[in-house]
Amino acid sequence: MKVLLVEDDPSVGSFIAGELSAAGYDCLLQDDGEQGLAAALEGNFDVLVVDRMLPGRDGLSIVQVLRESGDTTPVLVLSALGDVEDRVEGLHCGADDYLTKPFSMAELQARLEVLHRRASTSSDAPTRLQVADLEMDLLTQEVRRQQVSITLQPREYKLLEYLMRHAGQVVTRAMLLEHVWGYHFDPQTNVIDVHVSRLRQKIDRDFDTPLLTTVRGAGYRLGAD
Amino acid sequence: MRVLQVINSLTFRFILRYVIALVVSVFAVLSLLYTYLSYGYFTGLTDSINDELDTLQLVYRGQGINGLRQYVGDQISAPAGASFSYLLTSPEGDKLGGDLPSTPRYREFTEGWLAFQESLLHRGETSDVDFIARSRRLDTGLNALVAYNFAAVSESGAVVFGTLLWAMIATLILGIIGGFFAASFAMQRLEDFSQRLSRIVRENPAERMPMKGEEGYLREMSLVTNRMLDQMSQLMQGIKLVSDNIAHDLRTPLTRIRNHLNQLRDGLEPERQEAVDRVIEDCDDLLATFNALLRISTLESGSRSAPETRVDLGGLLADVVELYEPLAIDKGVELNLDVAGEHSVRGDNDLLFQLFANLVDNAIKYTPAGGVIAVRVGAGEVAAGHRIVVADNGPGIPVTDRKNVFRRFYRLEASRGKEPGHGLGLSLVMAIAHYHRGTVQLASNRPGLKVIVELP
Repeated sequence: MKVLLVEDDPSVGSFIAGELSAAGYDCLLQDDGEQGLAAALEGNFDVLVVDRMLPGRDGLSIVQVLRESGDTTPVLVLSALGDVEDRVEGLHCGADDYLTKPFSMAELQARLEVLHRRASTSSDAPTRLQVADLEMDLLTQEVRRQQVSITLQPREYKLLEYLMRHAGQVVTRAMLLEHVWGYHFDPQTNVIDVHVSRLRQKIDRDFDTPLLTTVRGAGYRLGAD
Repeated sequence: MRVLQVINSLTFRFILRYVIALVVSVFAVLSLLYTYLSYGYFTGLTDSINDELDTLQLVYRGQGINGLRQYVGDQISAPAGASFSYLLTSPEGDKLGGDLPSTPRYREFTEGWLAFQESLLHRGETSDVDFIARSRRLDTGLNALVAYNFAAVSESGAVVFGTLLWAMIATLILGIIGGFFAASFAMQRLEDFSQRLSRIVRENPAERMPMKGEEGYLREMSLVTNRMLDQMSQLMQGIKLVSDNIAHDLRTPLTRIRNHLNQLRDGLEPERQEAVDRVIEDCDDLLATFNALLRISTLESGSRSAPETRVDLGGLLADVVELYEPLAIDKGVELNLDVAGEHSVRGDNDLLFQLFANLVDNAIKYTPAGGVIAVRVGAGEVAAGHRIVVADNGPGIPVTDRKNVFRRFYRLEASRGKEPGHGLGLSLVMAIAHYHRGTVQLASNRPGLKVIVELP
């Protein structure tokens, strides 16, 4: 995967670039807004990681220019903590995800994978989701596994829906909190694990092959890799 | 209110004390002077009365009673010598001559001095006049009394005394008024000073006290304050830089170690993978701690303005409770939410969620099975703000530790090693509350802990 990273803080920038390269990504680092934009327009990247505050041109305006020129490369915006407007504004400007500093590399990697996958799959809205023998009807909100109907609480349903939409991908706890509960925060304890294990009981307990697995140090994955 | 403030001010009290001391000392000096002058005057007076008695004696010896009468009559009628009055009486008490009535009622002083008041015909009017007098028994038993009328002197004395008294009162009143204005002025300047200072502390730590136009002690104070603020910001920056650098510089190698371990793990046989997994977990805990530390330090750096978006507290707390309910149920703890009325605050949705999530998380962690946790909003009126209470009936926090628990990495002895956590949860709570211009207080729930969060 080709990643363009635009980050002006040299220590943060080289750290992320180094980690991404070590993880097998092809990463280019730019430390200036204008150069970043030029590189983004010119190069053929799979995902862009852009810091919000940059010298030359700020991160959001890079996204804006890209979108106006018809470029749909997924963009993840990095922002400092406490900039509330950033998230709303960033997503409004055409950014696809946002991450507050500081973050863990596992978190960033998981999000990049999701963005990359989303960009390469078709964007038409499905009415059914299926992972192995687990099915979800988005219209009737019915969940079945091996034709056995499973009753879920509303939150469990949303949780499963998110996992099924990202089947085969690593989904971090922060991503679940953000998309299922709508909050971006850092839980002190295993609060998400409790919800996931409740869901797991319902979809996996009575069946032979477990679908929902824990990915150590990162999060969860539904279905095969 | 303002008047009371000025009166209570140091400057006013100082000036008032000064004026009173001045008035008292001036009064004392003038009284001494007055005493000295009156003493001199009355000494001269008594001398002249004694002399006059001597003269009477001489006249009586030389010319007898008739000569004496003649002399007294001359003295009384002499236009220039009207100051003495006389009374001559026989040993039996009959009046023999002089211009005083025969039996004046007098007071007697030491050494035979007498004082009395007598009505005198003066320029066609009678008036009470003070006399000082002395009587002497002349050779044959004849009594002579010479009196001096000091009305004029005592009148001018009274005038002088009255003037002085009024001057004192005027000094006192003018001093108080002057003191009031001086104190009011000084206080105004001090108030400006303290307001500006508190604005610097509260809003913009980079601002400094203005030096232009100030003079005297206020300029001196501004100078020292600015120097102090400089030192403080240097220290703060130093600390922040050091902690940021430590967190950041350690994060890089730690992530590398973690990734190496991950690669190593895949090549190991399953029995040994577990040990590596535990090390990886420890690495993740450390990384989470660094991240939390960096978050707190970003929030505390105070460079950001307060958030502007409106957040519905009731909905947010309902979400927190909904998220934590399964955890509470697993632990056998009851988690209740009670929201009275609408509560909309200016803030950051995610940060506020973090704040209350940390509090509820802590409460669940420290409340034993069978306990109750209550999250309440709207209980108790807060001036122009919202009060959120998270109360549990767990072991609580001893009073002596309540301030410390907000410190980074501080953990109660009792929970150290027993409960998971990095000791930054409440520091983050405090940082978020401060970021929202709010406060966090700990109180006893009798038994248990009550955390009171107030948001503007």
